[in-house]
Amino acid sequence: MSLTYDDVDFGAELPPVAPDVTLANVRRFTAASGMTFGRFSDHEQARKEGLPGAIVPGIMSQGILVALIHRWAPNARVTKIDTIFRAPILVDSHPVARGVVTDKNDETRSLEIDLTIQNEAKETRVVGTATVELP
Amino acid sequence: MEIDVEKLKRDWAGFTFDTAEFEAKSDDLVGFAQACGETDKRYTDPAHADFQAVPNYPSRYVGRRILPDNFPRLGGGYGFDAGKCVIPIAPIRPGDKITAKSQIHDIYTKTGRSGTMLFIVHRMEFQNQRGEPVSIVDWRMVQQDRGAK
Repeated sequence: MSLTYDDVDFGAELPPVAPDVTLANVRRFTAASGMTFGRFSDHEQARKEGLPGAIVPGIMSQGILVALIHRWAPNARVTKIDTIFRAPILVDSHPVARGVVTDKNDETRSLEIDLTIQNEAKETRVVGTATVELP
Repeated sequence: MEIDVEKLKRDWAGFTFDTAEFEAKSDDLVGFAQACGETDKRYTDPAHADFQAVPNYPSRYVGRRILPDNFPRLGGGYGFDAGKCVIPIAPIRPGDKITAKSQIHDIYTKTGRSGTMLFIVHRMEFQNQRGEPVSIVDWRMVQQDRGAK
């Protein structure tokens, strides 16, 4: 479904997404991105580095948030995305990505979207903001 | 060690210290997008007329050096990746030859419960083989520092 700028209200919530952060999928990401570090793709290696298990790369979390926007508005053009990696998301966990429209700019027909990824304990591990243009 | 952040900025920010080249490969563009849950065929289907990298794709690229040669070793702890900001400017297509230039964009501190944190913003500016800017990525690296002022 294509959205237009006028379709979107201030405070609109994007449909949440439960991203696939299984070890197999994270390994697919690390292969495609060249991030072949054990802490992302091997639970045992991550534990040796003092982590509770393998962790999702920060830029994969960022990509999950970009995908969240595109699922909601396939015709959206992301003109900026800024993410803060507060704490790791564990591989093989069950996080949820969310977004809410926090500002509208009628001149540029652009939106500001606040973004989060929470773990099962409802702890916000990744926060971000995106600027998005819609026709 | 006491660290003078303003002096660090004066001495180190704003000049290119590394240049690296990359090629955008179709399989990597698809794998990156699909693993993130991307469903838009612009990003997942090489046969799509407007096939391109997802907007944050350049954040995967790392230069040959993270900091300039002789940049002072700061703080006593280890650094970590605190976040990334991506400003897409133009599409990256499969086969594009991407040149990335790195500089220190900013240095600043924040104080929180765990003490003073020193942030170094590493900026990479990307352009394609035609010299057109395609993206800017700011990578915030953090070091815990007990002497920043």
